[in-house]
Amino acid sequence: MTLPSERMLPRLFLILLLAVLALAGWQWRGDTPLSANLMELVPGTAPDALELRAEQRMQEPLNREMLVLVGHKDRQQAIAMAQKLGEQWQASGVFEKVQWNLQADLPALRTQLLQGRLAMLSAADRQQLIEHPDAFIQQRVQALFDPFTGFSLVPSQDDWLGLTGRIQNSQPQHGSVQLDIGSGALVADADGKSWVMLRARTVGNAFDMNLPLQVADLLQHSREEAARSDVQLLAASGLLYAASGQRQAAREMTWVGGGATVGILLLLLLAFRRWRVLLAFVPVLVGMLFGAVACVALFGHMHVMTLVLGSSLIGVAVDYPLHYLSKSWSLKPWHSWPALRLTLPGLTLSLITSCIGYLALAWTPFPALTQIAVFSAAGLVGAYLSAVCLLPALLKGVDLRPAQWPMRIAEKLLELRESLLKYLRTPVLLALLIAFCVGGLLQLQSKNDIRQWVGTPQQLTDEAQTIARITGYQPTSQFFLVCATNQQELLERLTALSERLDQLVNLEKLQGYLSLNQLVSQPSEQRKVREALSKLPQFWQPLLELGVPAAALQAELATLQALPTEDIDAALAGPLAEPYRTLWLGPTDDGVAAMVSLQGLNNPTLLRVQALDLPGVELVDRLGELNQVFAATQISAAELKLASCVLIVLVLILPFGLGGALRIVSLPLLAALCSLASLGWLGQPLTLFSLFGLLLVTAISVDYAILMREQIGGAAASLLGTLLAAVTTWLSFGLLAVSSTPAVSNFGLSVSLGLAFSFILAPWAGRQVHAAPITEPAA
Amino acid sequence: MNSLLKCLGAFALLGLSSLAQAFDLQQLSDQLAKPDVIHGSFIQEKHLRALPQPLTSKGSFVLAKNHGLLWLLKTPLQQDYRISDKGIARRDANGWQMLPNKSAGAEQNRLFLAVLQGDSSGLQRDFELSLSGDAQNWKLTLTPRSMLLKQVFNQINIDGGELVHSIELLETQGDRTLLRMQDSTSAQPLSDAEQHDFAE
Repeated sequence: MTLPSERMLPRLFLILLLAVLALAGWQWRGDTPLSANLMELVPGTAPDALELRAEQRMQEPLNREMLVLVGHKDRQQAIAMAQKLGEQWQASGVFEKVQWNLQADLPALRTQLLQGRLAMLSAADRQQLIEHPDAFIQQRVQALFDPFTGFSLVPSQDDWLGLTGRIQNSQPQHGSVQLDIGSGALVADADGKSWVMLRARTVGNAFDMNLPLQVADLLQHSREEAARSDVQLLAASGLLYAASGQRQAAREMTWVGGGATVGILLLLLLAFRRWRVLLAFVPVLVGMLFGAVACVALFGHMHVMTLVLGSSLIGVAVDYPLHYLSKSWSLKPWHSWPALRLTLPGLTLSLITSCIGYLALAWTPFPALTQIAVFSAAGLVGAYLSAVCLLPALLKGVDLRPAQWPMRIAEKLLELRESLLKYLRTPVLLALLIAFCVGGLLQLQSKNDIRQWVGTPQQLTDEAQTIARITGYQPTSQFFLVCATNQQELLERLTALSERLDQLVNLEKLQGYLSLNQLVSQPSEQRKVREALSKLPQFWQPLLELGVPAAALQAELATLQALPTEDIDAALAGPLAEPYRTLWLGPTDDGVAAMVSLQGLNNPTLLRVQALDLPGVELVDRLGELNQVFAATQISAAELKLASCVLIVLVLILPFGLGGALRIVSLPLLAALCSLASLGWLGQPLTLFSLFGLLLVTAISVDYAILMREQIGGAAASLLGTLLAAVTTWLSFGLLAVSSTPAVSNFGLSVSLGLAFSFILAPWAGRQVHAAPITEPAA
Repeated sequence: MNSLLKCLGAFALLGLSSLAQAFDLQQLSDQLAKPDVIHGSFIQEKHLRALPQPLTSKGSFVLAKNHGLLWLLKTPLQQDYRISDKGIARRDANGWQMLPNKSAGAEQNRLFLAVLQGDSSGLQRDFELSLSGDAQNWKLTLTPRSMLLKQVFNQINIDGGELVHSIELLETQGDRTLLRMQDSTSAQPLSDAEQHDFAE
């Protein structure tokens, strides 16, 4: 007995499916619309366009550069290996630039030093020149005889006053890396080995899907090759984290997705004993397709983490067909369309409540969860449509004779519950449960950290730390953003900040910093230097006594006086400015801006204090801000949870009345509370992700309460349906708990706990009075 | 980068080479590891392209195995330097002050001390060495190998007879430094004051 509408539905659905397939084909035509950029998943805490630009600028090297230390007991062997690897990498085509030695462009350096003699002089040297010109000259005389001051790039006759030598010596030193003059390699000695620095810059960045894997493979190959010559490689790069993250995502997707699929298919076969029942998996595939298409359509791409978490949708999507398949235990004979008709209201309610739960996630400020919510909601709609429109047609004529053992299990469970209730009445049980909850909640600890988002392999972090120790180069993610109306004011503000930072460096609270005012002084200071120089002839007698011709000194003075006041752009042109270039943000909407990068930081709060009373100076601490956002979001997540419950109650009032709706919703809430308490008892921290997991459980487990309350086909059949749904859902979410990404694993654990409690509590959903005869007494 | 240190290294390599029968660098290197202390005086002439007169300074030096070098400038101004494996120090009113370890200087220093200990591989790595003449009148020419050094030096010449007589540095910029070593002797041990200077 198939209605005419039921003949049309499969055809209409097939047309829709074809359209979606075509859309998917178009979306995936060129580049794979997949992304692995972690920063896309975290909330945008920097609505300020300038701050965003600064952040991107600071992160760029992390995502494009790799730093490798090539270590061997013998310096020459280490250098030879660095050179060999450098050549191989350059030839690989993966890198835009590979550098193992310093190829100093000395003529350009000389020109820059000569041009910058007024602008690049350090504060201490300026002070001496202005306040103690006699000592300034005396030091120069000494330096001319000093055999150990080090060689000066500029010959004496071009710089009698020795300004270029002073500039050279005042440039900040980077860590403990030294120049090997023979080879030009940069070498650090530590742990009984010489470590040669090898730096490589890739053609694309870490968010290019293939590049990180290519780089990781190349590095692995090089490691093996180096090991054969007893050379050790240490590497640090954002690319390596990206590669490890991608591999992990792919591995976990295979495990979670594959495990859930195999488990669910096996369960279907064991319970229903018909090959065709495997068609129940069609809604799952359709759901995945709809989810992916909606995600790419809305966001332009899909994140790999969405895929990992989204693969848990398998367990939820398969619940729709299970709803009516499980009726085969009580409906005899079972026919697909009538079974669907009977369960359709429940299915539809379940879709609405699940979507409400998922979409509640979309309102959190986390792009990651928004994506997952959209993926899941669209996926559920796809699964529902295929379960309602297509699957009954595919299953038409199947003679379902399900195995009796699941039914016996369900009956046993109900008996168990009955006998339990004989000894302990529901109010007593409730009191015990509440005691359990209170005890657990008291032990619950909250913990939030961005690091939970990445399952970083220990080896990568260890290597990065070793590199930081050996080179003394410890970049930090925090930096200062300094804004001003013009360059003069900007340099003034940078100087004021530098004075504070110098104190921190002296107190060893900070290892070092890089700021534009170390490269170029403000125009007013340059003017002061020029004025001080004009008084110098009174003091330069000692130079004349050495035989330096007065004419030569006069000529040099004239050249210096004629040097133009150098601005930031001019100062950044030469080779000495290389490390400073990223710091300059240039003109902004209201003036100019620059950054100050920091090294070896151990106390971010101390830094924030430094900037408090400095105008235009701001500490950008993305990690710190993110962790704060995490904590704040926890509260809003709890509010969202309550809001979604209110919404679900409103939806359920129509079929079940206010009392029924409240009862149905209070069960998942109680289950969530029990899960929280269990986390406390288990000593597991409450993270934002556990909370999101519970938010989801509320939505899914409302389903179980509805199923139990509707009691179509009797209490045992309903409990069995609930059990099957819970087991399939658990198969996919529970497997997430094994993920090595703490965030994902936390999510999996809380969902698993929530599902277990939801199943246990579901029989208390009460009983809806139906026109259909009810064979068993309500619990 | 300090060119003079390099030459002193070469000087150490070749000093007191009167006993050497053949001018084999390895043999010289072995011999150089023998004397414990060398005392002597120096005259340094800096011929700057733009100056008609060279900048001349005089003083004495002590080169001690396992300790380092004392370089005592006497005229026209007085200044003491000490080079050891810890780095370069300069003496002021408060005693020895370590100079900030500039990366290139520190590397130079390491190299120099390696040479002091009779390790000629350090010099051979960075320079092409060519030796001519005989034991009584020889000349060693050092030509830089690496691009970096080539941009600084054209050549370094070391002349000697019984002892090293002079070291001459030719810089690419046209400046020239001539270092004349006089009265070098290995007969004298370290005095108490010198030992104290190295120990401090």
